Amino acid sequence: MKSVKKVVFAAVAVAIASLGIQPALAHHSGAGFGKDMKEITGTVKEFQFMNPHSWIQVNVPDANGKMVEWSVEWGSPNQLGREGVRPSTFSPGAKVTMRVRPMTNGQPIASFVAAKMPDGTVVGKWDGE
Amino acid sequence: MNRKKLTILAALSAGFMLMPSLSYGEGAAVASFDKLPDWSGVWSMMGGTIFDRATQTGKGGSVDPGVREHPPYTAAYEKKYVDHVALRDADRYPDVQTNCGVPVGFPRIMNLPDAYEFVVRPDEFYIIAENGGNTMRVYTDGRKLPAKEDTWGTYTGVSAGHWEGDTLVWETIGLKGDRDNDSILDRTGLVLSNEAKITTRMRKINENTLEAKMVIEDSKALMKPWNVTKQFRKGKPGLYLYDYGCAENNRNPVDTKTGKTLVLGADGKPAN
Repeated sequence: MKSVKKVVFAAVAVAIASLGIQPALAHHSGAGFGKDMKEITGTVKEFQFMNPHSWIQVNVPDANGKMVEWSVEWGSPNQLGREGVRPSTFSPGAKVTMRVRPMTNGQPIASFVAAKMPDGTVVGKWDGE
Repeated sequence: MNRKKLTILAALSAGFMLMPSLSYGEGAAVASFDKLPDWSGVWSMMGGTIFDRATQTGKGGSVDPGVREHPPYTAAYEKKYVDHVALRDADRYPDVQTNCGVPVGFPRIMNLPDAYEFVVRPDEFYIIAENGGNTMRVYTDGRKLPAKEDTWGTYTGVSAGHWEGDTLVWETIGLKGDRDNDSILDRTGLVLSNEAKITTRMRKINENTLEAKMVIEDSKALMKPWNVTKQFRKGKPGLYLYDYGCAENNRNPVDTKTGKTLVLGADGKPAN
C-alpha cells in the first residue's frame, strides 16, 4: 500500500510540476513583491490551504543560524486544488527548498515560484518562467 | 347556480389568479430545454484581468498600449480614471474585493480569475463565479426590463434577455456604478456610472470557447458605446468548483485610513 501511495503522490507531483503553477494573486495585486528570485531552505511549519490565497509558513535559518519564519503566498486553494495541489502537498515538518520572490522591504514574506522536495519532487516551475 | 355556470366561474377565477405571473411573460416564447445550447462544464476566463484587454499577450495591470483599449470616457470620467491609476501606482487604490464584503457586480463578473459555471435554463440564465462567490441572474422568461424609475442601483443590476438561435442576448440596467466607490471593472480603477446600460451577446464560438460581446453605453461616463469582448475556455471534464470564503484567511486587509493594501506577516502584523 505504501508503494501505491508513493506512486500516486509522485504522479500528482509530476502533474503539478508540469502545470507550472504560478501564484495567481486574484484577491489583491502583487504590489510589494520584488522581481528578484531568492532560494530558501527550511522546514514547513504550516500550509494554510485557505481562501482567498494559500500561504506556506516555512522556518528557515538565517545566515547566523537564527530561525526565521517565512510566509510564502500562493494561489487560491480552489484553483490550486483543481491543478493537483492538496493540503498534504506541504506537510508540517517536511524539508523543502523554495524559489520565491520576496517583498522589496526585506521582510520574510514572498510570493511562491517553485519548491523542491528532498527526493527531487518539484512543485511549480523550478527553472523559471 | 347550475354546474355549467359554476365551472365557467371557477375557470375565470383561476385565470384572474394567474394574471400577475402571466403579465411577466407577455406572450414571449420561452425556449424549451431541448432547444437550448449546452454550456455545461467548468469555464475559465481567458487572459488577464484587465477588463478590456486588447491582446492575450500584454502584461496587464496597466494602461500600456496593447493591453488596454482605452474607454471613450467623457472628460469628467477620464479625470476620475487618471486619478485612480495614479492612486493605484502609489498602492493607494485598493481593490474593493480585498475587503471581502461586496459583490463584484456586472460587468466585472465577466472579468474574474478562478472558475465559472454558466447555467442555462428556459426561464433564467445564471452566471456562477467561484471567485468571491459571485452570482448574476438573467431572466429569459419573456419579461421586460423594469422602468428606470423602478430600479435602484445594485451591483449586478437587473437583466432580461432572450435567445436568438444559439446566442443569448440580454440587456442590463439598474447598476450602481461608481455611486458609492465600491464597484469597479478592474484593478486599474476603471468605473462606469449609474447610467450604464449594457447589451451582451453570448454564444459558443467553438466547442471549448464561450464568447461574450458587450456593448456598454453610459450617457454620464462614455462619449460613445464601448465594445468589450470576453472569452471563456472550457476546463477538462469532472472538475469541481468550491466555495470561496474571502474572509477565511485574508492576510491582505486594507488600511482604511490610507487605502493601502497590507500584507500580514507570520505574527499577524502588517509587514509593509
